[in-house]
Amino acid sequence: VVQHSEHARRVLDLASKEAERLGHRYLGPEHLVLGMLRDGRGQASRVLEANGVSLAAARAELRRLAERGWWLLGGRATPSCWERSGSTWTRSGVRPSKAFGGTAVGWAVREATRARRRGVGRVPRTPLRDPPMLISQVLYRAGQQARALGIGVIGPELLLWGVVTDIQTPWPRCMNNRWRRQLHASVGLPRNYRGAAGPLLGALGVDLDQLREAVTVGLSGVRP
Amino acid sequence: MGEAAPSEVTQIAAATNSQDPEVGLAAVAALRGLVEVLEALQVANARAKGWSWRQIAARLGVTKQAVHHKYAARRFGFRR
Repeated sequence: VVQHSEHARRVLDLASKEAERLGHRYLGPEHLVLGMLRDGRGQASRVLEANGVSLAAARAELRRLAERGWWLLGGRATPSCWERSGSTWTRSGVRPSKAFGGTAVGWAVREATRARRRGVGRVPRTPLRDPPMLISQVLYRAGQQARALGIGVIGPELLLWGVVTDIQTPWPRCMNNRWRRQLHASVGLPRNYRGAAGPLLGALGVDLDQLREAVTVGLSGVRP
Repeated sequence: MGEAAPSEVTQIAAATNSQDPEVGLAAVAALRGLVEVLEALQVANARAKGWSWRQIAARLGVTKQAVHHKYAARRFGFRR
């Protein structure tokens, strides 16, 4: 079993903080790139910075892409308090998990959001739930590479490898299903969203092959 | 597991008055998501405390059959 290292988990945490900072209601590969840069330590951020990506530039670029409606639904980011509060209102205040316990709330969220045959009282999403992580392909590719290299733990550099591979590989057809389209729509993404790391790195003028090369060199160095 | 601040709940509730459908509909969806989860929690809690379906239904303002239809099949996983 391939696990994530402490470092990789910190990068994921920082990525979700970046997503929240931008007012996005999901976590995508583009936020992972920001998380690596914000972490500022280790191979991944060094490789990114060597390729001319800085945290400030990447943030500005992502914000610009979102405002231009590169991938957000309706060609624009939703203005007003809603977009901001959508992600932050899951922070503090009325605490159902304090009154009933985290397990009970988890069960209730699962019960309320799961598909059921008669469809009584089914809701697609609830603000009591953490934003969805749309990085399954990145994690899958990273795990695949980790197994191929015989590395037991996924670090940030493997995550970066996963991001680059994800950009360069078309998503499998099974990812285009009704549930996924509904999920994308519920967080304000178009149904054909495939991660915005590609447009982001492209706009910053990064050569993907070169980036992949650099990460691969780093990985073989890490290999015991 | 997430939480909801009272001020933000009122903020979302206020957003349901928005003339912009994109904001208004999103706010409505969020409130409905919140309400469904809270209802499930409260019904499970009431059942755990030995309330009958009839009592729960009276508080919710629906028939006992309606509550039973909606919640009887759900596994109250955390209770057992």
